[in-house]
Formats: sequence, C-alpha cells, structure tokens
Amino acid sequence: MPTYYKWRSAKIQTQKHEYPSLEVTNHPLRVEVRNLKLNASKSFIQSLHKWSSSFEELDPLLRFEQMNLEHNLDPIEKSDDAINYSKIWSVKCTAILNKYTTGEKLTIISSYLPGGEKTLLRQVSNLNEKVKHRLEQLDDFDETSVRKTMGLSQQEFVTKIHMLDDEIKKAWDTEQRVKAFKIAIQCSKLLSDINVMQFYPSKFVLICDVLDNFGTLVFNRLKKKSFGSDSVKFEDIDTNLVPESARETCQNWMFKMASIRELLPRLYMEMALLKCYVFISKQEIKPAIVRLIKMIRGIGNPLVAIYVRVYLCKVASSLFGKESECYFYDNLKEFLEEYQQIFQPAMAKKFGTQLLTADQYLSLYIPAIDWLFSGTLNTVPCKITFLEELLQVCDNTENSELLLCCLLSAFDSPNIIKKSSDILGIIHKSAEHMVLLSQILTSLGEHLCHAEAYRQPSSEALSQTWWKIANNMKSTADFLQVLEPWLQFACTQLSIQHINMLLRGTIRYMIKSSKPADGYSSQIRSAIKRMLKSIPDVEELFLMDAFMPLVELVQTSSARTMMAKTVLSVFFERYNSVQIEDHIIIASLMRLCCILHDSINAVTVEDETKVCADLINKFIQTVSYQDDFQQQLNFYVDCRSAFIKLDSVLVTLVHGVHALSTRAGGARGGWLPRACAAYCFVTVPSLQCALARAQLYLLGAHAALLGACVGQAEANLKALVGLIPDIPQYIQEDGQNKPTHDRVLGLLCNFLSTLLILPDNMDSNSKAYILSGFIKIMERIHWKKTDPLYYTLLLRTLDLLCHMTQEKYVYHIDGVLSNDELYGSEEEFIEVLENHATNICQEILVVLKALGDVKETKKQYNLALELFWRIIKRSDLKESSMTSLAVNLWVLSQKMQDSNNNFAKTMLSALESDTSAEGRRLFDKLKAM
Amino acid sequence: MSASLAISLKKVNKVYHEGEIIAGVVIVDTSTDLRHEGLTLIMEGSVNLQISSKNAGLFDAFSNNIRPINLINTSIELAPAGKIPTGVTEIPFEMPLVARQSSMSLGLLETYHGVFVNIMYTLKCSMKRSFLNKPLNASCQFFVQYKHQERPAPKPVRCEVTPATLRVAGGAAAGGGPVPHFALYAEIDSTVCALDRPVTGQIRVDECSVPIKSIELQLVRVETCGTSEGYSKDATEVQNIQVCEGDVLRARAVPLHMVLPRLFTCPTTTTPLFKIEFELNIAVIFENDYLVTENFPILLLRCKW
Repeated sequence: MPTYYKWRSAKIQTQKHEYPSLEVTNHPLRVEVRNLKLNASKSFIQSLHKWSSSFEELDPLLRFEQMNLEHNLDPIEKSDDAINYSKIWSVKCTAILNKYTTGEKLTIISSYLPGGEKTLLRQVSNLNEKVKHRLEQLDDFDETSVRKTMGLSQQEFVTKIHMLDDEIKKAWDTEQRVKAFKIAIQCSKLLSDINVMQFYPSKFVLICDVLDNFGTLVFNRLKKKSFGSDSVKFEDIDTNLVPESARETCQNWMFKMASIRELLPRLYMEMALLKCYVFISKQEIKPAIVRLIKMIRGIGNPLVAIYVRVYLCKVASSLFGKESECYFYDNLKEFLEEYQQIFQPAMAKKFGTQLLTADQYLSLYIPAIDWLFSGTLNTVPCKITFLEELLQVCDNTENSELLLCCLLSAFDSPNIIKKSSDILGIIHKSAEHMVLLSQILTSLGEHLCHAEAYRQPSSEALSQTWWKIANNMKSTADFLQVLEPWLQFACTQLSIQHINMLLRGTIRYMIKSSKPADGYSSQIRSAIKRMLKSIPDVEELFLMDAFMPLVELVQTSSARTMMAKTVLSVFFERYNSVQIEDHIIIASLMRLCCILHDSINAVTVEDETKVCADLINKFIQTVSYQDDFQQQLNFYVDCRSAFIKLDSVLVTLVHGVHALSTRAGGARGGWLPRACAAYCFVTVPSLQCALARAQLYLLGAHAALLGACVGQAEANLKALVGLIPDIPQYIQEDGQNKPTHDRVLGLLCNFLSTLLILPDNMDSNSKAYILSGFIKIMERIHWKKTDPLYYTLLLRTLDLLCHMTQEKYVYHIDGVLSNDELYGSEEEFIEVLENHATNICQEILVVLKALGDVKETKKQYNLALELFWRIIKRSDLKESSMTSLAVNLWVLSQKMQDSNNNFAKTMLSALESDTSAEGRRLFDKLKAM
Repeated sequence: MSASLAISLKKVNKVYHEGEIIAGVVIVDTSTDLRHEGLTLIMEGSVNLQISSKNAGLFDAFSNNIRPINLINTSIELAPAGKIPTGVTEIPFEMPLVARQSSMSLGLLETYHGVFVNIMYTLKCSMKRSFLNKPLNASCQFFVQYKHQERPAPKPVRCEVTPATLRVAGGAAAGGGPVPHFALYAEIDSTVCALDRPVTGQIRVDECSVPIKSIELQLVRVETCGTSEGYSKDATEVQNIQVCEGDVLRARAVPLHMVLPRLFTCPTTTTPLFKIEFELNIAVIFENDYLVTENFPILLLRCKW
C-alpha cells in the first residue's frame, strides 16, 4: 500500500442548471410564533396543572384553613344570587387577625384556666357588698373562683382563648353543660376589657369563634333532642314539630341567658343562642334581633358597642342571608346616631394612656364599619342618593373623617367619582384636623383612577383642590402615599402642563420638608412607577422638565439605581414603537443607563448585571438617528465609553455598528464602512470571552468585505486565526459549563467559506496568506487526532482547497476581486494549494489509522467514505495515485462494513452515473472486487 | 338485691293548673322479686313561712319557723301488699289536683321560691316493706300555676329623676360627694305585668354632669309574714340586670327588658298570713359611685298576652 498520495484537484466544468422557479411572498419556514406560543403555553400550563393536581399535597396549615372554611360554609348554603356573607366574614376575620396585632401584654380573666394569680374581683353591685365579699372569700378555693392572668403575650393570649374553647367542648361532652355556659359567659366578658385597644378587633374575632362554637353545640343538641339527628338545616325546622321536652330545654337555656347580670355577656350570649329560638317560635327571632339592636345602645363604650353590632349582623346574616341586610342597615343607623361617642374625651384619654395615636385608634373602627356597610349597600335601593344622604351627614357633623373614610372604601368607584368634588369639598373644609387625611385622600384618589379616561374640566378643579390640601400635609410619608393615586389620576385625566406642575410641586415639597429624600425613595419610586404605567403616551413624561429632577431626587447610589431600573424597565414595557428618535428622551435614558451602569461593581451578582445589561441593550437597540449616520456612530462611540463594563452591551454595540455600516451600503468606499470597521476592530479585543471575540471578528470581516474594505477584512480574519488556540473547550453559560465544540466548528466552517472570496495579500511572500496561516495554526494546536472537530475541519479545508483551484469560484461579492481573478489560476498558486491538499490528505490518513487504533470503527468507516467521496468528486482521477487511494479507501470501508451500508451504496451509485472514462474504470474496478 | 323507686310525670314541664289531673307512672326497678306491704302515693302542697332574723326580737315567743300551712294533702294506694316481679315495672296513676276544703283554706297558690315564703308541691311515693327492710321512698316536685286570666289594661308609668325630685318622689340616693347634676327619664310600659312576658320600658339620660358607670334594673320581692300579733316585712333582690354599661349617649332611649325568672316570681299574692309583692328599682350608678334609685311597685299577674 503506497503511503504517499499526491493530491490533484480536478477542474469542474461549471454547468448552468435551469430549474423552474416561482416568486413567493412568504418564507415557507416562517411560523406564526406569537400565536403559537400563547396557545401552547396556556394549554401547557393547564395540562401541567391537571397532571400535578392529584399529587399535590396541601400545606397542613392551608388544609386546616380549607377544612374550616368548608365546615363553616356547610350549614348555610345559599342560592347563587345572594351574597355569601359567611365567606365575606371569614375573609374579613383573617384580615383583622393579620392587621390588628400587638406587642403589649394582655390580661385574661377566667376561672377555667390553670395557673394565674388568684385575684378577687369585686363585682359592681349595689346590694350586700359586704356579704358578697365574704362569700367570695369563702369561694376562693372553689373551682369557680375568678383568676386573673396578666402579662400574656399575644400568642399566649390566643392559646388561652383556644384552651377555653376546648374547655367548653370538654365540659359539654362530659354533660357539664352549665360549666360550658359559664365559660362562654366569661369569654364574652373579656370583650368589655378595652385595655390594649389595638388588639381589640382581633380579640373580638377570636371570641366570636368561641361563642359561635358554643351556640352550635347548644343548637345541635336541641336538634338531636327534637329530630334525633343534627343534620337538619335551620331553614327546615318547623316549630310545631318540636317535642315538648326540647322546647322546655330551650326555654331553660333562654331563662338562664336572660338572667345574666351584666349587659355585654347577656347580649353576646343571646346572639350566640339566637338560632335556638327556632325551637320555641320561629317568629320570635326577628323581633329579638330588632330588640337587640336597640339594647346595644346601653353599651357606652363606642368600640365595644360597634363590635357587638358586628356580631349581631354576622349572626343574622348566617340565619337569614339576604333578608338580614335590613339589620345591617338598622345597625348602621344606630351607629351613626352614636357616632360622636367615638370622639368623647374619655375615649381620647384612654387611647392616649395606651400610647395609641388618633389614627391608630380610629382605624380600629374601620373593619367594623366596613362590615356594616357591606350588608347595607346591598339593601339600599339607590346607592347614589344614599351616598348623598351620608355625605350630608358628614358635612354637618364634626369629626366626620372616620365615616368619610369608610364611605370611600364601601362605595364603588362610579358613585364616588360622581360625588368626588363634594367629597373633596368636605375634606378641604376640615383638612386641618383630620388624622385619617392621607388615608381618605388616597382612597379617593384610587377611586378617581378608575374614572373613564376623558378630560373633564372638573378634573382640573379636583386636582387643584387636592393639591391645596396635600401641599399642607405635615408628614412626608403621608404626602407621598397620597401622591401616588393622584398622580395616576392626573396622568389619565389632565394635560402634560398640569402633570408637570404637580411634579414641580412635589419636588418643591420634598425640598421644603428639609428631610433627605432618600428615606422615601421607595415611595417616590412607586409613585413614579404608577405614573409611567398610567400615562397614555409614555414619551411625554420625559418631555416634562420636572420629571428627571424628580427621578434624581434621591441621592444614595443604591436608591438611584433602583429608581433608574424601575423607570427603564417600565418605559420599555410600555414603549411600543420600534425606535426612539427624540433627542431629549435619548439624553434622559442615556443618563439613567449611566446610573445603572455605574452601580455595577465587582461584587454585583451576575443576575443583577444581566438585568442591567438587558435594559441598556434595549436602549441601544431602540435609539435611531435615522439617516444621520455620523450621529448614530457618535452615539455608539459614546455608549462604548459609557458602558465599558458590560460585555453584552459591547456585543450589542458591535452588532449595531455593523448594521449601520451595511445600512449605509450606498456610500460604498466612503468613510463610514472604514470607520465602522475600525470601531469594531478596536472594540472587540476588550471582550472577555474568546469565542464571542472570534465570532465578532468573523462578522467584522464579513461587514468589511461587504463594504469593500479588504485590508480591514484581512486584519479581522488574521486576528481570528490568532485567536483560535485561545477558544476554551467549555464556556460558562447560565451557571453551566457548555461545550463550545459545535459552535467552533460552525464558526470555522463559516471562516473557511469566507476565505474563498478573500483576495490574497499581495504584499506577503506566501500565497494564500491567511489560509496558510490557518493551516499552520491547525498544526500547532495539539488537537487529539481522533477528535471529530479536528478531522471534520481537515475535510472542510480540503474542500476549500479544491474550490480555490477552480478557474472561476462559485460565489463572489460585488466589488471584491477574489483570487480566481487575481491569480487567474497561476501555476505557482495552484502548486501551493495542491501541496496543502496533499498534506491534509496525508493527515487524514493518519487520523484514519488512529481511529482504527482506538477501535472507533464507525467513525473510521464514515471518515473513509467521506474522503473517498471527495476523491471521486473533487480529485483528478487521471492520477493513478488518486485512483489507488480511492480503491484502498473503498476496501477499508467494505472491510468494516456497517450494518447500515446505505452511505456506501449511495456513493457507488453516484460513481456509476459518472460518465468520464476514469470514473467508469474505477467503478468497474470496485465492482470487480 | 337492689330496688329503686321513681316518679315520672306525663307533662314534661310539670306545670299544672287547679282542677287538672296529674298523670304519670311510678317506676319500680328491681333486680329480684320484690315483696312489699303496699305502695301509696301522697300529694302534698304547703306554704312555709320564716321570720327574718331582723325581726326575731319581736317574736321571741315563737321559733323562727311558723307552722307550715297545708294547701293540699291527698293520698291514694297504688298497689296492695304483694309482689313485684324482677325488672322494670311501671304503675300508672292519675290524681285530680283539687284544693283542700276547709274553713282556713287559701285555695291552691302558685309555686314560689322566696326567702321567707316558699310554696311547694310534691308527690311522694312510698313503699312499705316487711319488718326488716326500710321502706322505699321517692318524691317529685310539680308546679302549680293559676289559669291565665284576661289581660288587664296596661298601666304605664313615667317619671323624671333630677336632683330636685330625689327624696320627694320616693327615690333614694346614696354615695359620697356632692350631688351631680342630672336629668333622667324612665318609663315602664305597664306596672301590671304578665308573668311570662318580659317587663319592658325605656330609660333616657337627658343630661348628666358626670360620666355614668352603670344603669341597672332590679327586681325586688317584698315578703310580709305575720299574724295579728306582729309581722315582718322584708325586701330582697330577686335579680338585677344591667341595662347600660358605661357612659351612654345622652338623650337617647335605651330599652329596658327583663325576663321574669320562673319559680322566683309568682302572681302578687295577699293572704291573711302572708303577702308576696314585687317592685322594680332602676339604679343609676355614676362614675364616682354616686347612686340614684327610682322605685316602681308592680303587680304581677298570670294572664294572657
């Protein structure tokens, strides 16, 4: 077997193929990506959910919650059109428990709890005090002595209440019904204690639960006594069918309840037992509710009183559903009568000693009033007239702020908007004294945000009045809180000038408040964010002279970065045209991008950097100076100097410049392509990743060739060749090591294809200057011979060499003189190429052997056939060495014949169709074997 | 060798009116055959009077307890001497509720539990047994109520209480410090009240210079016992319920609502030997523990409503 084969490339006769063609408007492979994606993602999530739902184990806490809910909902199922009050209630309870918490120490008074210091409590009574006291002393060791446990934390208190609840159930189950009753009474008594007021609403919710449970115990037992089972629903109970004994038991409960001395426990217990009246007479329940509504008047403490009303409504709604709404209304009316009680000096003193502020104190009432309103509004025939009446009340009473605040949260936006100027008038009148001012203004603003977006003359007046009030607000935090919805309102309703005025006013306010703005940066940010989101045309904001100063009001770098990020991300979210052309906007955005860029340092996390880079990239991609190429290039130059720390921004810049250079294609030979090429050539080396650099070099070469800058193209390619050894095998991407193998192969194949059109450097003394350099580099890198990357590259180089020997190359770029024309198939040039080919062919044979050594038969088989194919297609078969090499390769491949022999068969059939004499001879020879 | 005796009445609430028939069963539960010398059922009703210790000095001659007044005393034999088989045996009975006919007879009075006067009715069942065995006894209370009479016309009362009306109008005041300035208005819907209806009314604080701590409605019984030689009269509290807690809104009526307790109340009764009367007190306690009360005598009736 000869070991040396001299490669000779064959001259291929170029043929002109005539194929039928037709013009198309749509790319056949184009997909409607957007639609597809939406559909796909939706159904995907749904199907995912479907699959996973059966496996999903609920969080134990959630499960309890759901069990509770189901349990609560069970006994009272309502028709669909009615509002489900029990659901609203349970939502409300959760909200209350979350909101009204305390760090203060709590006190619980009960005789059924273990521990606690024994204290004798003397009850208020006007008779026989002395005797009673003595009796109590005797009782001291009795179970029923009252103990006071002090210094409980909130959590302990909650546990204690739950303990009492359990105690009731335990007593009930052990037939100690009177004891259960007594514990329930003691629980309701706890509600008369208004120490640690800020916990009161939560305490109320907890104790309500206990009372509800107790009521249900009694009710279920009576049901069992009457009907033998407790599955009968309240609605289905017929009083006439109740047996005498059950009625008697129920009567007894009622007598017991009616003789409770203190008012508050008596009220609560009657409410808890209200549904039991059904065993005596169903008609008695509603009059009882009406009576209770009046009796609550006897509770002097407004906080205690309103929560009793809340419980009454809750009980009524669970019994009568829709029909109970009139009781909500009645209770609301009663509340309005006693409204001034809230502001009596005694209460002020009480919350003062508990170190509560007035707004905290008033906020204790809000959930209760909201609850009353929630039922009332469903029964009122005309909401707007009702609102007018209430506003009239507000206008005429002092301290109307609490009512006003609740009105705003209870009514729906359309009605509030209709009356907005009246409301604002009322606020304006007494803004000075209002402690809930910011809350009221905020919720009014939120309502106005829902107004339809057309500019009404009244909007301007509203905004002006609002500004007058807000500008005098003392607390900066409150001011900013109020500002947020009102800015949105201004953005949707008012003119640019007006918004600008508001912004200017805000800046002035912030400066005047003489507190550093940094403390309020998150509030300012959210205000700006809402403005950006709500303004119809987001560009207009940047055209206001007060916008950027407001954005830059905060001084600390972290706050500024957050601000810049918010503004940029919302801006790009909302910005819907492709390009930004306005110089002012560009300058503002540039400023923000700079802030963002400057915040990046060595300790910045990768994700953070990526987010910043993405934002800056978006900015660079959208900026356009249209036909002013110089300005555009200057912009890119500025950006490079400004964003030097971010590689991905530099890449974007290079791409941008290339795009610019090709866009300016008309000005061929002008300064622009050169300038662009120079820009890129200078920019690329500062990138970290060698692969990215290599890719950009190649791209640079392409762009330079298109712009007919041969020198620049050559420089780029040369740099690329020099870079090949530096390309790592793996690069870090998304926190994973990814092999660069395929990408390098693609890149170098592309590079080789580019070399075909690159004119040779006439100044150098070696022919095919860059290619020779590439081959040398290939030799220098100690690649593993069996690496597919290596031998594939060898094959590709062989392909290129074959093509370079042709008289006319298969492709050209207009205006670039390629080697075919440059050398005109000069012999010396061809010689050099054939030499290279011979060497490479030799190297491939070495690889074949190496593959055989490591038993990579499949790879060996493929490579042998690949080479065989190149010989029969590209080499000159007249040369005997070529023919014999081909035969040898064929023999080699047949020896390792794979089960899948299609590859070889196809080649053979291709050879069969070869009409040349040499081809036939080779075919016959192979056939003969 | 155990046996028990129990009485079970047909009516669950055990309330009977004069002339009605009390029906029920005596339940004998025995583990062996029970031999007995006769089973009798006795119906008893009596008034127990007690002289309060306050007045005891006047009555040194008497003991504190006066002899009970007998209202009804009848007996029937349920079973002659014989044997009761093992297991639960129910012996039904029926007895007419008729008052004892005598010159001193008071008729049947309503059941009432008071401090100095008690009116009680019981059924007692006893089984005489052979010489060595103790007799078996069982007893059961039942309640007597008057028949509902026609409803009389309501008699509302109104009053205003101010510092000026205090002693004059029978109101009383107690507590330290100067008299605060106040004006109260109270109203009872009717001083003639049905026993099974709540007492209703309203109270209004029109003016008050100091905060109010509590307003309470108190039901008081006035029991008088004695003979021509002397008598004792005592007022004690039956129940006291709070109507207002804390400083209530001025000039706003707060309802009064009191359910009259069973057994501890009865129709207002007057007999030669004793009297049972009831009164209502409205007590207003101010923040400084100053106390103002207003008294309303009421007439309780068993009547329709």
